[in-house]
Amino acid sequence: MASPLISAGEVQWITAGVSFNCRNDGRQREDFRELSAQLGVIAQATGSARVQLGETDVIVGCKAEIGSPDPERPDCGRLVFGVECSPVASPAFRGRGGDELSGELARALERSFYPGPSGRAGGVDLSALSIVSGKTCWVLYVDALLLNIGGNLHDALSVAAKAALADAKIPKVEVVQGEDPTDEPDYEVDDDPQQAQRLDVARVPLCVTVSQIGAHSVVDLTAQEELCSSASVQVAVDASGAVCGLTKRRQKGVDPSVALEMVEVAQRAAAKLHAALADSLAEQQAQQMSVG
Amino acid sequence: MEYVSPEGLRLDGRRPKELRQLKAELGVLASADGSAMFEMGNTKVLAAVFGPKPIENRSQEDEKRCLVKCEYAMASFSTGERRRRGKGDRRATEITKAIRNCLEQTILVELMPRSQIDVYVQVLQADGGTRCACINAAFMALAAAAVPMRDILASCAAGYLESTALLDLNYVEDSGGGPDVAVAIHPNYQDRVVLLQQDNRVAIETFEEVMQLAVAGCRAVGEFMRQQLLEHTQKLAAARAAGEQQAAAAQEDDDALDEDDY
Repeated sequence: MASPLISAGEVQWITAGVSFNCRNDGRQREDFRELSAQLGVIAQATGSARVQLGETDVIVGCKAEIGSPDPERPDCGRLVFGVECSPVASPAFRGRGGDELSGELARALERSFYPGPSGRAGGVDLSALSIVSGKTCWVLYVDALLLNIGGNLHDALSVAAKAALADAKIPKVEVVQGEDPTDEPDYEVDDDPQQAQRLDVARVPLCVTVSQIGAHSVVDLTAQEELCSSASVQVAVDASGAVCGLTKRRQKGVDPSVALEMVEVAQRAAAKLHAALADSLAEQQAQQMSVG
Repeated sequence: MEYVSPEGLRLDGRRPKELRQLKAELGVLASADGSAMFEMGNTKVLAAVFGPKPIENRSQEDEKRCLVKCEYAMASFSTGERRRRGKGDRRATEITKAIRNCLEQTILVELMPRSQIDVYVQVLQADGGTRCACINAAFMALAAAAVPMRDILASCAAGYLESTALLDLNYVEDSGGGPDVAVAIHPNYQDRVVLLQQDNRVAIETFEEVMQLAVAGCRAVGEFMRQQLLEHTQKLAAARAAGEQQAAAAQEDDDALDEDDY
């Protein structure tokens, strides 16, 4: 893990660099690091993706299992998020060490996908996961594993979650209604991968964390830069630029006008992030088509 | 279920004494001192080494040797059925202890008193032979971290189904109810056994046959790891040579400048 210690001199250097719009690695304030996404890295998962954003390395695996729907949304499936901090990322995650961080990250992911009371208003339309209304549905477990902490975990996680959902191939289910209308409908799961249904991820938002270093708003902080910032706003923005969620983090307060400015920065940066991910996914899927 | 067809082929098309495809990659994690990804067929394991470093807990300090700390974790998506908790369950604790035991016999702990080496193993995909893949990955990560060791540590498992000894069982074969013998060896010390574990009942003659098959599998794995380490070292040596050449060329340019000055 990058050193958790930072000297006053280094903080000054980084803050000055940000004010000149030239960070340690040469990036400008609103630039992202190089994003690389690989789909289908876990063969037995319904969908999976490994995303590297600079040094931050995350794998997300989706597993679709048959379950029962939420009583408040009987005609919808469910999305369950989980995050694990792998001990390979740092000795600090030994035993239960990573629980606090993983809980926070999972909750943040979950909130960005909030489906509303109808179940259809979130990034993923949950009604697409329903099998038999009120009785059976797909429960899609989205599990993330952090392999390397290089700063900006929230953003990398949201990108990986979107990529894994884009890769998910939900088996086709045929609902067979018995002869007697009062009979329970039966369902058959078709194992054929060609028949599998893909999820519509067009509305899935990506999270962009904007932080204040000195007097400026910066995007995609490295682990070292995170030690120089004490206020950040996490904004979930979808591909059309609409804000789907907002969280202010860290200990320092921000002026409301500054906060609004940070949200605008996030919207601009999110457009770039969506484009970078879309390019990466398109490349992957083209490769998959040519191989298959 | 038929585990061995009449033609002598297993469920995945292998012959009874055939190992699955092995793959190893070193230096896959940026923050760890040494890391490795090891694959045996569909079983994929990532190992990271942090250390040798000063001991964290003074009460555990040993003035004669290094402390080896280990942890084994399985990702929720690693198995066919989703797992809720990846560490802390009894199986994980047992495997952690087995890995640590093997590593303590392999690492030259007397060379690093008052220190600690952390070895973490993360299973990404589990398809049988997980503990063997973990031991192999841990060894490769330690080699990548340049931790001094006595010998190569190679591990493999074998079983017995339908009157045939089978090498390197996958998950389906492992669940077949036959014996499962996991072995780890030091190949250059006359294949001395460092780990030996067996599940399920087996007659003693069959056990000998299965264990010998497992040891042969270990030797093959050991040979593969040695090749990988050699290639890795050659790459590092080539990179260093290229770096030295560049530095020498830059030095020459500097010298040339000095001549023109006069």
